[in-house]
Amino acid sequence: MSAISLQGVSKRFGETEVLHGIDLEIPPGEVVCVIGPSGSGKSTLLRCIAFLEEPTAGLISVYGEPLGFALGPDGKRQRLPRARIHAVRSHIGMVFQQFNLWPHMTALGNVSEALKTVRRLPVKEAEARAMAQLEKVGLAHHAGHYPSQLSGGQQQRVAIARALSLDPKIMLFDEPTSSLDPELTGEVLNVMRALAADGMTMVVVSHEIGFAASVGRRIVFLDHGRLLLQGGPQEVFRKPRHPRLDQFLDTYLDRGAAMLL
Amino acid sequence: MSWKLFEVLVQAAGTTAVISLVSISIGLLIGVGVCAAMMHHHPAVGRLGRVYVSFFRGAPLLVQLLLLYNLLPVIGVNLPSVVTAVIGLSLCTGAYQAENLRGGFASIPVGLVEAAEMVGFSPWQTFIRIKAPIAISLTLPAVVNEAIMILKASSLASVVGMVELTETAKNIAASTFRPLESYAAAGLLYLVLNWIVASGGRLGERLLRAGRT
Amino acid sequence: MTFDLSLILSYGPELLLAAAATFGIWAAGSLAAVALGFAIALARRYGGFLVDGPLRLLVEIVRGTPFLVQLFLLYFGGPFIGLSLEPTEAGLLGLSIYGAAYFAEIFRAGLEAVPRSHVESAECLGFTRWQIVRRILVPEMTVLVLPPCVNMFIVLIKETAILSIITVPELTLVITGIGSKYYAFVEALFLLALFYWGLVELASRLGRLLEARLAKLSFAA
Repeated sequence: MSAISLQGVSKRFGETEVLHGIDLEIPPGEVVCVIGPSGSGKSTLLRCIAFLEEPTAGLISVYGEPLGFALGPDGKRQRLPRARIHAVRSHIGMVFQQFNLWPHMTALGNVSEALKTVRRLPVKEAEARAMAQLEKVGLAHHAGHYPSQLSGGQQQRVAIARALSLDPKIMLFDEPTSSLDPELTGEVLNVMRALAADGMTMVVVSHEIGFAASVGRRIVFLDHGRLLLQGGPQEVFRKPRHPRLDQFLDTYLDRGAAMLL
Repeated sequence: MSWKLFEVLVQAAGTTAVISLVSISIGLLIGVGVCAAMMHHHPAVGRLGRVYVSFFRGAPLLVQLLLLYNLLPVIGVNLPSVVTAVIGLSLCTGAYQAENLRGGFASIPVGLVEAAEMVGFSPWQTFIRIKAPIAISLTLPAVVNEAIMILKASSLASVVGMVELTETAKNIAASTFRPLESYAAAGLLYLVLNWIVASGGRLGERLLRAGRT
Repeated sequence: MTFDLSLILSYGPELLLAAAATFGIWAAGSLAAVALGFAIALARRYGGFLVDGPLRLLVEIVRGTPFLVQLFLLYFGGPFIGLSLEPTEAGLLGLSIYGAAYFAEIFRAGLEAVPRSHVESAECLGFTRWQIVRRILVPEMTVLVLPPCVNMFIVLIKETAILSIITVPELTLVITGIGSKYYAFVEALFLLALFYWGLVELASRLGRLLEARLAKLSFAA
């Protein structure tokens, strides 16, 4: 059974069609890297999987459970009640480009908040579990610091710990290093590498082609809202390449990177 | 100006401070209520809130006070002028505070709310644990500002028969034929009151940020 | 209780005159305030600390004291320093000074918000200070200061009502005068409130329209 299954997912904003009929099956434990030029719909695709955007057509299911919409007996899409959406979403953790840490809580507070408020764990237990997550991302000694006191890389790692605190089966990353200074991306990518090695199912939208090529098990290339290519990194990056992919690597990235691949 | 007269002015300044404090506090409560109305899902409730804010920010405070002062006896309510003044000031500042609070909620980065959604918060939990604390901390400087506005606006309370700082200065000016000193002294006292409030606000902000940076 | 607006409305011509007076005082006062405020902001920026210090003090004093106290000072205290003013003159002067202090702050913040790099590149290219003000600072600042300026214009509309206390013949004085003649205070004040409310709403909407138009030509700051 696929961890994530997308069938014919489309998204329109007003007049503009941002995603055109995306079909994608992601088996458990796979690391999928979504690449493509700006405006290709990568973030929208990820946000649809998180159900932060509602697809205007198509169906998404997580471990067989429909997310947001299900096929009714009449063959049409039916919106599911909020409780069911929440239940399915609880298997998914998300890391945002802007970290989105809550400024009025410490690192420990951010990571333990969901355990306290949503899972209703007693404070001691919630904080113990949160500390364990912070240790995993290497930030246990910053537990009492507020986001404003942490660097970008540290904030993002706290955000990852927060997403992991609820033991999700799937982790989504929306351009996790795009807001970071170059010297801080390494610490975040290393945490993601460790997660992948642990067998987490991950969908990563990123411009870090090096990461995609080395850690990604599957590369998905999106262009103008369409899924143009997918396959293992060797397949996708091997020359001769799809002309659009070549154009993308040449234009959007350092020529050096394009040549190295 | 003799010290005795200055003492009288200082006492009047105290009155001004007290009615301002009371009005700000009541105004805060009104502001929370009206803001809640403005953000309510029912369109009629929202409209009511917006009309309230529009009226009390649109009509001059002087006219509002005069209207209140003349309207109450007509509908059979007789209140001491202090109470009328406080009601008038509270209603007015309530509108501004409601708008400030609404702005506070509106400027919460949407990503913070999405993060809460993703970890499974219900809308109510998101409101209590995330939105409200952040909105309040964003609005605090505006509340301090409003306090200073009310201190100055209280000078209009004299038109509803209340004797506060400006009215006292006017009386002293009339009886001593020294308007320059009287009003200058009153002005000075207003500046002192404002400085106290502003300093308190800065202290409050510093305490709020304690340990955060 | 009778609520008869027709009595007040029957004073049509007087009301129109008073409204025109209010508008005139507001317009003249606002214009003077903007000009003076801008002059103060420039003086503070370029005049060195001997100019900046005292001006800053004056601005803080005017912004920190009630408008009514300032009016009383001008109108009742003026004669003692040789400044004998009619109510309207005092009102106009008071409004201009009051507004100028607030506009000075708005423009000061606006000038500072223009990125240093834009000014420095102009300096490198040999622009004179006056040219920088005219060709760089003012255009870039306009988009930034427009909302607070519109807000201040609206505040000044409301402040004109206070002029009635020193018997300036504007709308508040005239309508309350009619009201007191016929003991129809509530009707009079109700009408007055509606008038200002409507005016303020109109001005706010126009302001938002203007801001939207200008935002299209905004310079990225």
